[in-house]
Amino acid sequence: MQLHGWEAVLFYVLAFSTLIMGVLVVSARLAVHSALFLISTLVNIALLFILLRAEFVAGVQILVYVGGVMVLFLFVIMLVQTRAEEEAKVKLYTGQMWPAVMLTLLLAVSFFFAMNSAQPAFRPQPSEAAAQSKEAPAESTKSGAGSQISTDTQEVGQSLYKEAALPFEIASVLLLVAMVGAVLLARGTKQEKLYEPSE
Amino acid sequence: MTAILSTLLLVAPQWVREYLTKEKQPNVFWSEYIVWPLIQIIVVLFIILTLVAYLVYLERKVSAFMQARLGPMRVGPWGLLQPAADGLKLLLKEDIIPIKADKAIFQLAPIIAVVAALVVLAVVPWGAGWGTIANVNIGLLFILAVSSVAVLGLVLAGWSSNSKYSLLGALRSSAQMLSYEIGMGLSIIGALMFARTLSMNGIVEAQRADGVWYFFFQPLGFLVYVICALGETNRAPFDLPEAESELVAGYHTEYSGFRWALFFMAEYTAMIVTSSIAVTLYLGGWSFPGLSLIEKSSPNLFVFLSIVIFATKVMVLIYAFMWIRWTWPRYRYDQLMEIGWKWMIPAGLANIVMTAIWYVLALPSTKASLPDFLKFFLRFNFMKDVSGRLVPTQWAGVIYFVATGFLITVPMVWALLAAINRRSNDFNLDEQRQLQFKLRRERLKKMENAEAAE
Repeated sequence: MQLHGWEAVLFYVLAFSTLIMGVLVVSARLAVHSALFLISTLVNIALLFILLRAEFVAGVQILVYVGGVMVLFLFVIMLVQTRAEEEAKVKLYTGQMWPAVMLTLLLAVSFFFAMNSAQPAFRPQPSEAAAQSKEAPAESTKSGAGSQISTDTQEVGQSLYKEAALPFEIASVLLLVAMVGAVLLARGTKQEKLYEPSE
Repeated sequence: MTAILSTLLLVAPQWVREYLTKEKQPNVFWSEYIVWPLIQIIVVLFIILTLVAYLVYLERKVSAFMQARLGPMRVGPWGLLQPAADGLKLLLKEDIIPIKADKAIFQLAPIIAVVAALVVLAVVPWGAGWGTIANVNIGLLFILAVSSVAVLGLVLAGWSSNSKYSLLGALRSSAQMLSYEIGMGLSIIGALMFARTLSMNGIVEAQRADGVWYFFFQPLGFLVYVICALGETNRAPFDLPEAESELVAGYHTEYSGFRWALFFMAEYTAMIVTSSIAVTLYLGGWSFPGLSLIEKSSPNLFVFLSIVIFATKVMVLIYAFMWIRWTWPRYRYDQLMEIGWKWMIPAGLANIVMTAIWYVLALPSTKASLPDFLKFFLRFNFMKDVSGRLVPTQWAGVIYFVATGFLITVPMVWALLAAINRRSNDFNLDEQRQLQFKLRRERLKKMENAEAAE
């Protein structure tokens, strides 16, 4: 799959803003600001999913991460008073710039070699290109805003409950265990004693 | 003059051009995807923002009538210009930002709240045909996802104000909205099983094809949805985030002027959106019995009537919301959480399971793979396959689903949850306090006994 025209422009804009937001997440001084930048990163990634025609995944990304996980993050940050730490002007950078640069370069080089060998697979096959050019005018003649309804949701559901049923169930059991553990940890001994009937 | 008209014709939507020139237009990109949606967006935004202003007026009038008062009467006839006066006043008010506040976030929070509320208006099916702005494949999921972002606005507003009341309001609101969102998400799945699509217009079309509003198939789902919607929009009796009597105004205590008005706008828009989801999912959306008679003969009148029907249904629901607000007292915080977690979420889960069971039992014999002892359900033909979509048969299937929904699902889940939650009141605050008193009394008695022994 190759990106053309506006799709390519959108992809690069979104990709770069994702990266910039990612950098801002770690460089922001206030925890709440970091959380906000993380939210914008996640929204950008959701938009990238839409660009890949994976609307369902994009919707779930926003629903779960932005609407759920990040709100809990903010909840915790607000409960833990961090203002004193921020006002103390803790040093953000610890002078480890050169190791960081070296690691980044290493990562970039490895990415380059990894992607380079996979590159031919992304070039459109001749037959595929012909099919695309045939498809395009057929699509544009359709009228109405709702003509391009994809079956993305159905496909996700099918593969989740048919092909990936076992991992799905394992993940749900894992989450249940985590939840029970959290409840157990949150109930302190004091609370346990309070509800002991025989005292 | 003709030049202007022909330019206008170039960017007019396809149905207008076909109507005027009586010929098919091949290139529709600009008109269908840019200009016509923009016109729709402007019209919808204008109507909704005016409606929001008048909902405040309606709220004051409804509350006044319920308390045997007159409500706003001074500005214009029956106070009809009151919203305009209020809006002007809010615009002219001083915009105060507390010194200790986090300025950027303080300014960002109302924007997040209002944008999250307004963006979802794009996928609400206001009517048939050109009455809908965007028919997205994931319409319902999109609405739920974007409205779940609205809670961020509240949380950030509370935190950035750097005030106790605001922070408490924000904490309450984030906990409440997260809990009720889960119940809301679970309650709609039963209706989606019948609709088999997440597209908002698809859901309405499914109800037209089935000939029944899903409220009759999904009484429990509707109940859970409406209660969770009240909690999600912070309306009374679940308006703890802004409980006036305890938190002054909750998360927007420090806001004034137009920023405060933005929060208000977001709240009322969210009310419109949640009622329109309820109408779309459970009350047939823009469809109405007999409306399809004029679909072929006068399509534009059909669309116009469908918009009117949708608006009427939404307004009835909003009136019900106001009615509830002015007749019920506010819940206590632990009661609110109990309703959310011990009643709404289990009820939503139970609704999914029960609906799935009824659905599988009613499958037509071509699709069913039931064990032998359940085979006798097949002979009733509750569902039939209409071009790849399963539709309940008239009337055996419809009666079957309505009867199972009302007579089995609702009472059974009610009884089950009542049995499970029988002892949950042992955990209430009063009981805890009494328990501590009891323990203290026992300790004192022990000490007395020890003294007496000496």
